This record gives sequence, structure tokens and C-alpha cells, in this order.
Amino acid sequence: MKRTMIRLMGGLALLAVTAMGVGDVWAARLNQPTSATPAAGLRVGLNALLSEHVYLASAATNAALGGRDAEFKAAAGALDANSIVISKAIGSVYGPDAEKAFLPLWRKHIGMVVDYTVGAATSDRAKQDKAVTDLVGYTQDFGAFLASANPHLPKAAVADLVKHHVLTLKDVIDAQAAKDQSRAFTALRTGAGHMQMIADPLAEAIVTQFPDKF
Amino acid sequence: MSTHRIGKMAMALVAGALILGVAGPGRSQSGVSVQLFQFRPGQLEVKAGTRLAFTNQDDIAHTVTSGTPEQPDGRFDVRLEGKGAAASVDLGTPGAYPYFCRRHQSMRGEIRVK
Repeated sequence: MKRTMIRLMGGLALLAVTAMGVGDVWAARLNQPTSATPAAGLRVGLNALLSEHVYLASAATNAALGGRDAEFKAAAGALDANSIVISKAIGSVYGPDAEKAFLPLWRKHIGMVVDYTVGAATSDRAKQDKAVTDLVGYTQDFGAFLASANPHLPKAAVADLVKHHVLTLKDVIDAQAAKDQSRAFTALRTGAGHMQMIADPLAEAIVTQFPDKF
Repeated sequence: MSTHRIGKMAMALVAGALILGVAGPGRSQSGVSVQLFQFRPGQLEVKAGTRLAFTNQDDIAHTVTSGTPEQPDGRFDVRLEGKGAAASVDLGTPGAYPYFCRRHQSMRGEIRVK
């Protein structure tokens, strides 16, 4: 009986040591640095979607200004598909009602950009000026939306970032309207790159707000 | 009048006020919150004579305008200037009252008055 107990205890001890050894191996593997975290995925995803927004908007405005209707419709369709995915990303964090509220708000600014482009195409300065005024006003709406969703996103800061987005996109459209392709693509790279200044703080604020999800 | 009688009258008045509800001309409801560019709840049923309160939680002006953007009907149109702003709408007549925000026309709600 005593020998059996000793053997049993020894076996258990051996098992424990073995498990610890195996555990140490897995722990080492799991503790290795990795970029595949939910927070990183959110940041990368938002950056990709928002820069895609700029590229597709630019494709649509360039087609519109060039009178290429079929190309404009295709680009506008792709731009709207991007808008839907962005709204779904918002919905994945804040729920379906937020997604439903976000999409028309996001689409609204695209309509204003279209108005500006039409003004540029027809040399209608009044239409362009009204579109710019509307877009600047829109930045307050968008800032208020995100501030309402997330206490770590101050309305004024968001509005300022969106204003910068609007103005960089305006630079693209102005260059396209002037048929200055070199300037247009330079402005496009600037505009697309600027979206990181919206995507990064947005991702950070979401992760801060929902640490258990990320 | 004795102190005892005054006390009894006061208690009766308090009890009466509690039964009738502390209210103005209409019976008040818990209300509608305007948040994240939505009316919450979006669909609401109330009794005729209700005074319905709207409170804005967004840091931007909204309106509560009866009807639809295509066809406002003029029954009510109140502005909620910013975060914390509140306004009430008196709903005396039974019926369906769709409403929207004039500044953000995708914001819609409906009140059914019974």
C-alpha cells in the first residue's frame, strides 16, 4: 500500500513537472510579440477603409469632371460600398442602431462633395462656395456623432480632423478640375495619408472605451 | 383651526397631489431621449393629453418636427439647441404622429396617441 502510494505520488509529481515544461513552451510561444491583436486589427481596418474612401472619392470626382459617366457610376458605386462597410464597422462596436444612424450621416458629406464637384465642373463658384460651407457645417455634425458615441473623442477635435479631410479632398478636386494631374495625385496622396490622423485616434478611443473587447 | 386639523388637511392635500400627479395641464411621460442622432425610443405609445418631453444628449442642435421631410404637417416643431436642451410636446388628439429632425432628416420617430 505504502509503495503504491509512493508510486502514485511520484507519478503525479512527474506529470506536474512535465505539464509545467510543456506549459513553459506554450507560454513562451504565446508571449512572443505579435501584431495579430484585436486592437491592431481595428486600427489597420479603419485606416484601410478611410484611405480607400479618399481614393474612391477621387476616382469618382475625376470621372465626373472628365465626363466619363460609366466610370463615374462605377466609382460612385464602389464609394458607396465602402461607406456601407465603414458604417458596419461602426455598428460592430456601437450596435445596429448606431450603424443605421451613421450611414446617412456619412453619405451626406459625400453628397456635398458631389455638389462641390458639379460646381467645379460647371464653373459655378456659388455652388462651390455653398458646398464648402455645408461641408464645414457637416464637420460639427460628425464631431457631435462621434463625441456622443465615445467620451474619448472630443467633438471639436474630431470636427477639426474632418475639416482637414474635406479641405484635402477639395485640393484634389480643384487640381482635377484644372486638369493638373501631377498636382491632383500629389494632393491625393496627402489626402489619403491624412486619414490616418482620423483612423488612429478613432481606433485608440474605441479600444480605450471597450478594453474588454480589445 | 386647530393644529391637528391643519395637519390632517395638509396630509389630505399631499395625498391628493400624489394621486393626481404633479402636473400641469397634461400628464407627463418618461420622455424621448435624442442620442447618437436617434430618437429613443423611436416608436412610442402614449395616452391622449400627454405632455411628452424630449431631451437632447447630442452636442448638436436637433429639431422635433411633426410629419415627414417631404411633408411636414405643422402640428409641432421644437428645437433642441444642444446637449441638455429639453422641450415638450402636448399630444391631445389620438392618432399617429410621425416626426423627424429638420437638420438631420434621416432621424425619424413616431408617436401613437391613444
